[in-house]
Amino acid sequence: MLETVTLERRQGAGAVRAALTYAGALALGLALSLAVLVAAGVPTGALFNELVVQVFLSPAGLARTVTMATPMMLGALAAALCLRLKFWNIGIEGQLWLGAICATAVALYDIGGPLRLPLMMVAAMAGGALWILPSALLKMWLGVSEVIVTLLMSNIAFLLLQHLLFGPFRDPTFNFPTSPVFGEAEKLARFGWGDVNGGLVLALVAVALAALALGRLRYGYAARFVGDNPKAALALGFPAGRVLLLSILAGGAMAGLAGGVIVAGTEYRLTQAVGLNMTFNGIVIAALARNAPGWIPLVALFIAGLYVAGASLKVFYGVSEGIVLIAQGIILLVLVTAQFVTTYRVRLARGVVA
Amino acid sequence: MMLAVTAWLGAMPGFMTPLLLAALGLLLCERAGILNLGVEGVMALGAMVGAAASLGGFGPGQAMGLGALAGLAVSVPFMVAVIVFRAPQIPAGLALAAIALGASAALGRGAAHMPFAGLAVLGWFDELEGVPVIGRMMQQDGMVWLALILAAALGLWLARSRGGLRLRAVGEDPATADASGVDIQLYQLGAVAAGSLLIGLAGAYLSVGGSNIWTEGMVAGRGWIALALVVFAQWSPLRAIFGAALFGGAEALIPRLQAMGVEVPVYLLSMLPYALTIAVLVLMAFSKRARQAEPGFLGRAYIRQDR
Repeated sequence: MLETVTLERRQGAGAVRAALTYAGALALGLALSLAVLVAAGVPTGALFNELVVQVFLSPAGLARTVTMATPMMLGALAAALCLRLKFWNIGIEGQLWLGAICATAVALYDIGGPLRLPLMMVAAMAGGALWILPSALLKMWLGVSEVIVTLLMSNIAFLLLQHLLFGPFRDPTFNFPTSPVFGEAEKLARFGWGDVNGGLVLALVAVALAALALGRLRYGYAARFVGDNPKAALALGFPAGRVLLLSILAGGAMAGLAGGVIVAGTEYRLTQAVGLNMTFNGIVIAALARNAPGWIPLVALFIAGLYVAGASLKVFYGVSEGIVLIAQGIILLVLVTAQFVTTYRVRLARGVVA
Repeated sequence: MMLAVTAWLGAMPGFMTPLLLAALGLLLCERAGILNLGVEGVMALGAMVGAAASLGGFGPGQAMGLGALAGLAVSVPFMVAVIVFRAPQIPAGLALAAIALGASAALGRGAAHMPFAGLAVLGWFDELEGVPVIGRMMQQDGMVWLALILAAALGLWLARSRGGLRLRAVGEDPATADASGVDIQLYQLGAVAAGSLLIGLAGAYLSVGGSNIWTEGMVAGRGWIALALVVFAQWSPLRAIFGAALFGGAEALIPRLQAMGVEVPVYLLSMLPYALTIAVLVLMAFSKRARQAEPGFLGRAYIRQDR
C-alpha cells in the first residue's frame, strides 16, 4: 500500500541538507505550537509579548527563565551523555529524585560540617549515578533493554521519595508531605537577580566539562567510536565497556546533580513536585541540541521560557499548563519525524510492488 | 480474615482490568515491532474523555467507546511518524505521551472533580453473592469479563490464525515477512490503531468503570506498569491475564491492609510490581527460550532495502 515508493538509507546527509531539515522542522514545530496556543484562547497580538518580552527581555522574567533552565541543562546532559552511546535514559526523573534525596539526607542529618554544601552536591551526583548503575550493568552484562529498566527504576525512585516524605523525612509542622526547610549553610548562594543561584555555575561548569571531554579529550574520540560501532571499537582496542559505563554513570550523576541543585538552590526542601517532567524535558532539550553539550544551555533557556510563559498564560488567559507539554511534544515529534529527510532517500518505484 | 480475603478478591478485578486492557494494547503494538511509550498519556486522555462524555449525558458504554476513539485519534500523528516516516520510536512515543497528557489536562478542566454515574455491576451472578471467597469476585462490571475474553481471543488469534502469524512475523523478522508478501506497514498501522483503541479504553475504564470521577494525574503510572507487564508476560496475552491479576492484586491489597489497621510501608510495597519485572527481565536474560519471546525487531525501523 505505502510501498509504491521505495526508501534507501543515505550514507550520511550533507551539512546543508541537515541544517535545512533542522531549521524547517523547528519552524514547523513552533508554528504548530503557536497555532495550539491561539486555539486555546491566547490573542495573536499577545504572543510576542508573552513568549519573548516577558520571558527573555524583562530582567525579572529572564531571571525566572534562567532559574528554571538551570536544572534542565543538567537533565539534558543526563540524556545527551547517555544518548551519545545509544543508551536511552528514560529514567532521568528517578536519578534526579535520588540526587535530591541524597542531598536532603546530608542536610537533614547534619553531615559534613563546614563542607556540608559541597558534600550535598557530591551526594546528589553519587545518588544519581547509583540509580542508573543497575540499568547500565544489566544492559552491558545481559543485554537487557535499558528503556524498560530505567523507566522502572524511575517509578521505584518516586515511591521511595514518597515513602521518605510521608515517613522519616517529613516535617510534621506542615500539612503537605515535605521535608523540613534547609538551614542557611545548606542553600546555594543567590546572586541578587531573582532566584538565580550557584546551581547555574555548577550547570555551566558541567556543560563545559562535557563539551571539553567530548570534543577535546581522547574520551570523546572513544565515545564516538563506541557509540557508532561498539564491536569495531573493541576490536580497535578502545576500552568500549569502560567508556560506556563511564558515560552512563556521568549521565546519571548529572541528573542527580539536577536534583541537588533544585533542593539546595530553589526549593530549600524536598517535595513531591521536585523535577517533575525532567525525563521528557531532558530528552527534548538533548534532541534539539543534537546531543551536543555546547548547545544545551541555549536550548534549555528556550524550553524553560516555554514553562515560564505557560505559567503566566495560565494566570492571564486561563490557558492550562498542559499547553506547554503539548507544545514540547509537537516540537519533538516534528523534529524526529523530519529525520526522515536526512536518513532516507525516496525513490519512486518503477515496477509493480507486491 | 475470610471476609478480608473475600473483599480483596472482590476488588482485585477492578484493579486488574485497566492494566490488562492497556497491556493488551501495548502487546499488539510490540508484536508489530512498535514500542509505544505514549501509553501513559493516551490512557490519561481516554480517562478524561470517558469522564467528560459521561458528564455530557452519554451512557457508560458509549463514554468508554469515545475514550477509546480519543486514544486512537491522538495516536495518529505517532503512527504516521514511526510507521510511514520511520521516526525513532522512543522519542516519538514520549512526544505522544506529552501531547496526550497535555491535551487531557488542557481539555479536561471542566470535567475535573465532578462525580458521575459510571459502569454498573452485571447482575448475572447475583445468586453467588453469598458464596464465600469467590462470591464477591463474581460481582463485576461487563468490562472485566470483556477484557478477559479479549485477552483469550487475542492469544488465540496470535497463536492460531494466519493474520496472527503474519503480525508476529512483522515484529519478529519483517524482511522475511515482506518477502513472503505481507504488507508490513499495513499490519503495523492496524496493530497500533487497535492497540491505541485498547489503551484509550483502559484509560476510560479507570474513570467510567473505576472511580466514577476524573482528576488530573489519575492514571498515576499505570501506563508504565502496563509497559512492564508486557515484558513480565513475555508478550503473551494469556500470561498478561496472570500478570495483570498479580499486579492488580498487589494494588488492591494495600488499601485492604490499611483498612484492617495493619501498619504497612505502603510505598515500599508498591515497588513490588516494578522490582518483580526487573527480576523477570534478569531471569529472562538467562533463559534462551524466554529471550526469544521479545519481538526481534522491536523498536527498529524496517525498510525494504534491509531485506
